[in-house]
Amino acid sequence: MIRYYLLIMGIFLALGLIPKSHRLMNALAAGNGMLHLIMSCVALLTFDLPGRLGESLYLDHLNLYVELITALGFSAAAFYAKGYTDSLMEAGELDPKNLKTFYLAFNLLLVTATVALFSDNLALFWIFAELTTVCAAMLVAILSARENIDAALKYVFIVSGAMLFAFLGLIFLFTLSEQTLGEGTLNWTELAVHASEFSPALLLASFTFMFIGFGAKAGVAPFHTWLPDAYARAPSVSAILSGLMQNLGIYGIIRMYALLRESSAAPQASSILIAAGVFSIALASFSMLQQRNLKRLIAFSSVEHMGLLLIGIGIGTPLALFWTLFYMLVHVLVKETLLFSAGILHRQYRSNMREDMKDVFKLQPRAAWGLILGSIAIVGMPPFPLFPAKFFILLESAAISPYLTLIVLLTLILAAASFANFLLKAFSKVTVEEEENEEEDHRQITRTLAGTGEIELENVIVKAGREKDRLPGQYMVRNGMRVPAIFMLALALALGFYFPDSLRDLLNAIILELGYV
Amino acid sequence: MIDPLFLEGIIKILFVFVLISAGLIISTRNLSSVLTTYTIQSFLLAAVSFLLYLIDGKSQLLLLAGLTLASKVILIPYFISRIEEKIKIGRDLHFAYLEPTPSLLLSIGLILLSYTFLSKVFEGLPLTKLFFFGAVIGLSLTLMGMLVMFSRKKVVTKALGYLSMENGVLMFGLFVTELPFIIEVLIIIDLVILVMLTTILAVGMDSSIEEYRQKFRKLQVWTGVESQ
Repeated sequence: MIRYYLLIMGIFLALGLIPKSHRLMNALAAGNGMLHLIMSCVALLTFDLPGRLGESLYLDHLNLYVELITALGFSAAAFYAKGYTDSLMEAGELDPKNLKTFYLAFNLLLVTATVALFSDNLALFWIFAELTTVCAAMLVAILSARENIDAALKYVFIVSGAMLFAFLGLIFLFTLSEQTLGEGTLNWTELAVHASEFSPALLLASFTFMFIGFGAKAGVAPFHTWLPDAYARAPSVSAILSGLMQNLGIYGIIRMYALLRESSAAPQASSILIAAGVFSIALASFSMLQQRNLKRLIAFSSVEHMGLLLIGIGIGTPLALFWTLFYMLVHVLVKETLLFSAGILHRQYRSNMREDMKDVFKLQPRAAWGLILGSIAIVGMPPFPLFPAKFFILLESAAISPYLTLIVLLTLILAAASFANFLLKAFSKVTVEEEENEEEDHRQITRTLAGTGEIELENVIVKAGREKDRLPGQYMVRNGMRVPAIFMLALALALGFYFPDSLRDLLNAIILELGYV
Repeated sequence: MIDPLFLEGIIKILFVFVLISAGLIISTRNLSSVLTTYTIQSFLLAAVSFLLYLIDGKSQLLLLAGLTLASKVILIPYFISRIEEKIKIGRDLHFAYLEPTPSLLLSIGLILLSYTFLSKVFEGLPLTKLFFFGAVIGLSLTLMGMLVMFSRKKVVTKALGYLSMENGVLMFGLFVTELPFIIEVLIIIDLVILVMLTTILAVGMDSSIEEYRQKFRKLQVWTGVESQ
């Protein structure tokens, strides 16, 4: 089955190399995303879960759910990519010759992530997760500016190096299964059945190594150092880094923890997860506080959220896992809104820095509102759905230690304050009004002087020049760049008001399948 | 048939050479020597795997030795040497965080650490002394490779550090368990893709060629903190 899938996608991608028009390439990418979205919906509705597809693919509610999130995030990014890459090429920042490579890596990312998610064999999961790293690094490096290559290399080295540790963990796991079952296996399904028979010490060692690898992929501190650079440098398609790559890491951790839960090493594994979670949140919040680069701010907010997800997994109760899974979905929706809006601002000011942003409401009011609403959503204010998710995770964490809840809550407030601080400082700079008076004066002077047409003309030129100094020309947001941001935000808001029964059933089914109840 | 005990003795000697090669990768400044050291290290690994085949007689080990020889002794070093010629720099002089001597001292610590860690974890496992030591050396090699990635500045050296890390993982797998052969093949494929990607990017980063510099200066559009 996996062969057919790879064959079909291979043909599809090869076809994608033929067209010359950007519109068609983009349509193929968007189609690719929609195809995966529809397929996973269909599989969710029609398949008898958990089920197998051929020898090496395995379908259950968890990987279909994560695939759903992935495909959704991917499709939105694909719709956004057209306008964004167009403006990049116009500005000379992206070589049109690289456009095909860009779309190839972009599409390949979804394909490899899909195989990774559905493969039953851990080694297959590892390999394809590695390949997603390569594709994502290509996306970061595509702009061929020195900083981009630097960020891409940092990304590859940190994540792949950490993934080698995950491979060590895999070897441990293989040895364990060989010792208990007689024959070595790396299939999730078989491992899950026998996990309780494994030696706890080895299982914990395996978990720790795997956690290093998947944690680096998810961008968990202290393996997060690639993340701010990659976010800040990547063309705003970095949205899929959060929508796709980070969830892949979290997916691996959820699976591994579900294995560990059966054995007596579960408390230690929980404490590793919670410690890493708290460390991530704290480190991210403090880094956000004085952050002047918008995309770095968003990147550190990702680190913070990954920390909270880890805590949610580490608590290990069904309720915490329920909200953690829900959190994964909403985080992608909101984070993409933020990144898409930040991308529009970056096109406007050619910079992510706070100092360069002026007259935001005049130039890009909708992107500004996208950022404001997105920030409100991401810090977990009601009515946005991150509020109940955070609330219940924190509530459950109190069962472990009230101090844990307190620390997390304080650092979350710090993160919220950093968003507020940034937005207030960046969006409150208005330059036009004072200068309008000046302009009035200027006009009067020239009017009195205006005896000849020559001066009139000169005046016009001077005025035009000054206008240029004052307001950078408004960036015309291209069609389709706003739609994904609005769509994602609207979806998030809708989830805040109405929790669909089908989603609840889906999440409950995942919890049941992972053996939590 | 050669006496297995004699072969085991040779493998133990090769362990020492592997560790020496790891230490050299950490401390050598000359880029082409680093590459040669890596090639020798991979060759040692292929030799270990071949000797194990002579002891065990499992054909998978022979295949692994052949695969290692083809990919890591011939293909990858050839590719990297081409890149090194292209970027026209011979030396990686500067170290980040750690100078070579502290790095070497730290690696001694890492070896001891992996020994204590593994002796605790492998308590219940029926591993013979040789295989246990193989695992320890493998883990140490991985950690030392990581040290290279941390402390070296040039991308090519970092890539070699990554490769040396992977050698460690392979060695660990060789002695702890018998991984299905297909997994080893997949790892090598992953390795080749990664090396190609990073070294091609390295041409942009490490290059001393003026035209690249200028190209990058021109393209410095993604302003962040650093370039302001």
